[in-house]
Amino acid sequence: MAEQSRNSWISKDDPKLVSARQKDMFEDILEDRRHSSDLRYSLKTRDVTMFKLNKPRAPMQIKEHVMKSDRVNFAIDQTCMDTKLPREEVVAEALSILDEMAHNLRTGAVRGFAFFLIKVMKSLYRRIYVNVDGIQKIRGLIKEYPILLMPSHRSYMDFLLMSYVFYNYDLPLPVIAAAMDFMGMKFFGWLLRNSGAFYIRRSFGDDHLYWAIFTEYVQCQICNGDNPIEFYVEGTRSRTAKSYTPKFGMLSAALEPYFKSHIPDIMVVPVSISYDRILEESLYAYELLGVPKPKESTSGLLKARKILEEDFGNIHIFFGQPISIRKYSEGFVDRSLHNLAPRYIASLTNQEQDLIKKLGHHMVLTQQKHMVVSPWSLMASVLMQSQGGVSLRQLAKEVEWVKRQASNLGAYCDWPASESAESVLRANLKLHQNIVRVSQEDVVELVRVAPPVHAKATDALMITAGQHLMLSLYRNHILHVFVRPAMIAISVNTCNEERLSIDDLFTKYTFLEKLLCKDFVFIPENTKADFDLALLTLTHTCGVVMEDNQVIIAKSTNKHTTFYSHLFEPFLLGYWILCQYLLSNHPNVAGKPLAKTQKNLVKEAQMLTARLLQEGVVKHYEMLSLDMMSNGLHALFAMGGVSKERRDGVVYMYPNTRQLSTITDQLAKFVDVPPLPSVSINLHSKMITVNAKL
Amino acid sequence: MATNKPSRQNSDIVNKMDQQLETKNCAAASKNNSGALDPEPPTIPKRRQELLKWNGWGYKDSKFFVNKDGHVEFTGERYRISGSTMPAMREWMIKTIGVSLDHKAPAQPDICAANIPLPIKNDGFLSELRKTSISHSDDCQDRLFRAHGHTLHEIFLLREGKFERIPDIVVWPVCHDEVVKIVQLACKHNVVIIPFGGGTSVSNALECPMEEKRMIVSLDTSQMNRILWVDEKNMTMRAECGIIGQDLERKLAERGLCTGHEPDSMEFSSLGGWVATRASGMKKNIYGNIEDLLVHVKMVTPRGVMEKNCQVPRMSSGLDIHHFILGSEGTLGVVSEVTLKVRPLPQCKKYGSIVFPDFECGVNCMREVAKQRCAPASIRLMDNEQFQFGHALKVESNSILANFMDGLKKLYITKLKGFDPMKMAVATLLFEGTKEEVAALEKRVYEIAAKFRGIPGGADNGERGYMLTFVIAYIRDIGFDYYVVAESFETSVPWDRCLDLCQNVKERLHRECKDNNIQFPPYVTCRVTQTYDAGACIYFYFAFNYRGISNPVSLYEHIESCAREEILANGGSISHHHGVGKIRKRWLRKTVGDIGLGAMQSVKQYIDPNNIFGNNNLMMGHNLSDGATPAQEPSNVMLPSKL
Ligand SMILES: Cc1cc2nc3c(=O)[nH]c(=O)nc-3n(C[C@H](O)[C@H](O)[C@H](O)COP(=O)(O)OP(=O)(O)OC[C@H]3O[C@@H](n4cnc5c(N)ncnc54)[C@H](O)[C@@H]3O)c2cc1C
Repeated sequence: MAEQSRNSWISKDDPKLVSARQKDMFEDILEDRRHSSDLRYSLKTRDVTMFKLNKPRAPMQIKEHVMKSDRVNFAIDQTCMDTKLPREEVVAEALSILDEMAHNLRTGAVRGFAFFLIKVMKSLYRRIYVNVDGIQKIRGLIKEYPILLMPSHRSYMDFLLMSYVFYNYDLPLPVIAAAMDFMGMKFFGWLLRNSGAFYIRRSFGDDHLYWAIFTEYVQCQICNGDNPIEFYVEGTRSRTAKSYTPKFGMLSAALEPYFKSHIPDIMVVPVSISYDRILEESLYAYELLGVPKPKESTSGLLKARKILEEDFGNIHIFFGQPISIRKYSEGFVDRSLHNLAPRYIASLTNQEQDLIKKLGHHMVLTQQKHMVVSPWSLMASVLMQSQGGVSLRQLAKEVEWVKRQASNLGAYCDWPASESAESVLRANLKLHQNIVRVSQEDVVELVRVAPPVHAKATDALMITAGQHLMLSLYRNHILHVFVRPAMIAISVNTCNEERLSIDDLFTKYTFLEKLLCKDFVFIPENTKADFDLALLTLTHTCGVVMEDNQVIIAKSTNKHTTFYSHLFEPFLLGYWILCQYLLSNHPNVAGKPLAKTQKNLVKEAQMLTARLLQEGVVKHYEMLSLDMMSNGLHALFAMGGVSKERRDGVVYMYPNTRQLSTITDQLAKFVDVPPLPSVSINLHSKMITVNAKL
Repeated sequence: MATNKPSRQNSDIVNKMDQQLETKNCAAASKNNSGALDPEPPTIPKRRQELLKWNGWGYKDSKFFVNKDGHVEFTGERYRISGSTMPAMREWMIKTIGVSLDHKAPAQPDICAANIPLPIKNDGFLSELRKTSISHSDDCQDRLFRAHGHTLHEIFLLREGKFERIPDIVVWPVCHDEVVKIVQLACKHNVVIIPFGGGTSVSNALECPMEEKRMIVSLDTSQMNRILWVDEKNMTMRAECGIIGQDLERKLAERGLCTGHEPDSMEFSSLGGWVATRASGMKKNIYGNIEDLLVHVKMVTPRGVMEKNCQVPRMSSGLDIHHFILGSEGTLGVVSEVTLKVRPLPQCKKYGSIVFPDFECGVNCMREVAKQRCAPASIRLMDNEQFQFGHALKVESNSILANFMDGLKKLYITKLKGFDPMKMAVATLLFEGTKEEVAALEKRVYEIAAKFRGIPGGADNGERGYMLTFVIAYIRDIGFDYYVVAESFETSVPWDRCLDLCQNVKERLHRECKDNNIQFPPYVTCRVTQTYDAGACIYFYFAFNYRGISNPVSLYEHIESCAREEILANGGSISHHHGVGKIRKRWLRKTVGDIGLGAMQSVKQYIDPNNIFGNNNLMMGHNLSDGATPAQEPSNVMLPSKL
């Protein structure tokens, strides 16, 4: 060691040796596990803090409570009246619903679960980072308030990770609202149930009894503060690595006890889980293309053995600032409106529903804000734009630029400062060697991905699309950072005048937001504020140059605006193709275009895209994503371009030709649209040709 | 960067050849840098925020925090206290400054682009800059990082507020010639340059003048970090200005050498920065302060390059231009290359400590040591408050034996010798030299100490004392997290006034806190940190808990300036080594007088008539009749006393 007076305080005299164990606000919780006994860890005494108003009870007692509750009995009575079935039968039905639903959280199982989890985590991941500060906040709150955890949802792992983290920090394990597909797995399903999972059916629409049992089950656990309750505000796992728009059912059920003054407050905690590499990446890609994913089963899980040998990099888990519902709703909600009806009858006021909507969006945006951006995401955003491959050197330069922009927009980029750009890139290329490779000439290009055995579509197009979609997952991970400035950039970039007034710019922005609002999450009625901030940011990072409230187009057409425009081009072009497809459904004899189910519309739009790709008219393979098409369809519906009607309980959709044409023309102003070969425009007789090809 | 270049071993190359090689080296450096992928990143990356905290001190992986058991812990792996808890710390924080762990004041997460001022652009300058291969960036975060040093005010702004004026662009020259090019362009297009070294300034020297309407270029020297040559015949070495202290010493150590210049900020502060601020290192007793070490320096000014034509130990050549450069604080030009003396690494190095019954005994002992000119490499005297703080920082140790020994020592000191633990003061010592020298010196120092009732306190305590110095910079950040603002300031004072100054300044700080309705008792401590023949350097730490106060920073500044007034009234100086910057400008006129100030300004006027180096430090930009200073100081006449 060099003879410096610092010696008295230095233990590792190498400025570049950055500790990986602690990184900014994060700490790695796996490291200690690698140096000590897993068994001892899973048997450690857990000194767990509980909610102060909690009356300890076993899972069995929770069930008893639910069956005895006013709400459930009310629902049972109602059902008897509606169905004219004898009460015993309905009660039996209720009991079986409850049995199917309820968790059976037990310490013994939890310890076994912990033991199993450590093994899995250690073999899959290098490090699992957690922001300790967030944990400390939760620890402080758990005694005082019931807690709702709302993690982002991009992998099955989310669910395991959360429990693992809570186990690790001696916090009460959360009970988790899980989807039914887990339950099918015999051993695993049992283990999860005993470790706190409770199961809810995907859709139970009008089933009052189910709804009542579910509500009571959730609410009584919140009121008694048995355990923190965890659920996904996005409703389901995002297959696209973008956030899904929030769903409000579970959130409403969970917050009702506060609105009805059963409890003084509830704390809601947003959690962001970011993966360097997503376990299900290839499954997602094929699912997006329409190849069904394999059904989860225990044997499937065993096959996952192979997966255990792979490297999935790091995970970052960020616990955000807990939100007090009382404070959040202060001034917006009048709880006394519930005073006139028994509280077991489900009801929420309009104010409350609006608030829940706002909160749901707020949660998703907070999750996004605290997502950690990996170098690979940055790389993917560049690679997606350079389909022909790009030299490592060029990639490094571009990534450096994107990284700067991302951090200017408030993203946290996980970039190891102590390494050279090249080694960071190479390490990430290695981690994702199933997607990309570096050629002898140092050019980075996509590798071919073998489709899973069960995939029927062996078509070369789908194989290529699969690899593009996998890559797009990682680019998607950072799109939320750029989407608002991008809508300005696109407007500026496609403007043919010399100057563009702020008002006109805002009009364009609003149109784009409406169009993109299913693929990206925007807070309703916040458009102006979002716009102002995005514009300010762009001017401050020199992307847009303003004079007297006008954008100077020539000066504003630069790297910023072009890069952002390119980033979102696939979405706009994809929607445009969708529009073209919908418009090609000419009014039939009845004077109205043929109505089809959403599934069919989406599938057929995909076929048109496939056709255009094959003919070389367009080039973004990701437009084959059914998810993108379906999001586009819903946006068009919201904009009046498409109508819905119910037939036999199934939703059918058809275009409103006039409105849709206007939207399509408008859309075409924002993106370079290709001339369509006449064959493809020529409606679905031609589509059948395409169909045959696939 | 530097390490991947062939190191230049030939130590005694003639000057001329050197210059040739230098230029070659420079070309190599710039070529290397133009590529996107540099094979080995420099110690300090261009994007500093990726390695260093953007709103606090030091490395990102190293910080204090309160762990889940409520104990203070230090993160990372870099330092000896990394990964350890300090069990006594919490009590200390609660008791001494009234911290409550339930009241946290977390910093804002970031300052995003929308809150960062738009850059002012000088198109002519920019387009010419782009034609060169000089690396530059107008990225918001890069600019923000160079808008500040480490004063309380600046860090508080980062945590809670935003900056009104920041540099408009950052440039990273890789060699002297590129600096020359940048300065030329700046002059041509009337653009302001603010040199940026390690960014450790504690005088607001790096702050951009709010009223500056021209484009401001932050010239970051971090990529100029090579040792150009080492000359073992003359025991000198030349390095580029951006090399940071730890790297310089580490690389010299590989050859068995050192400069011995070790300011407490040496992990990050730069060679050029030291020259520009007249820095002082803790081992100056052996190696000297920066002005003693400096053999030759090159400064790029708007008029051209200023340097002497020879590298001699001393010369009589009129006013010494080196002394224009030393302490110029970036107002005259960029220090680009520096030759310093080097010494062989000492054979032996030993810590020590002496415990005194009280601070007065300690000061008297220090005075005696200085008088006999037998001071070791470093000798520092901590007052009782600092001694106690040192104890609070004690790292949890698992060895029962260690605790037992500690206990024994405590008994020995506190009971047997009748020392009052609430009064004791501790001197920490660092000896360097040959074994014999160290042994002889140790003996002599402890003998002197004994005369002042000082007893040896062991090497461990000495070492821990020095550790404290480095820890303290990190500790301010956790203070912020719990509503505590803290800052240090320093001065130099003649021996006869040393004790009074310490006492009076402390008293004044306590009084001002009370008068300004600060609810909690402040933490005030000082140490005698350097000794000279004719006086000493005193270092103060001052912290208070601002819960319940809305404007902690301006209050802090008010109180610190009261303390400075007190210092001046007690015969102390404006600064021993931190410099003037902007924070202490108002006392400069008083310090050097009107004529002195006028002379400084004339130098500035000649060298930089258009104020290209317009960081507005010192009193350079000020009109002599400027009202910003108490010009109407009553001209005191000394009346002969009748007593
Ligand atoms: C924790 C801590 C401990 C410290 N301990 C000490 C100490 O023990 N002794 C001591 O002397 N100081 C100390 N300081 C103060 C500071 O480290 C010194 O002033 C140091 O010399 C500044 O160097 P720098 O490279 O960080 O310069 P910067 O902070 O980057 O700049 C300081 C000033 O110098 C100018 N400057 C920088 N580089 C050049 C150049 N190449 N050419 C021209 N002008 C330039 C800048 O424009 C600015 O005005 C300490 C500071 C901190 C925060």
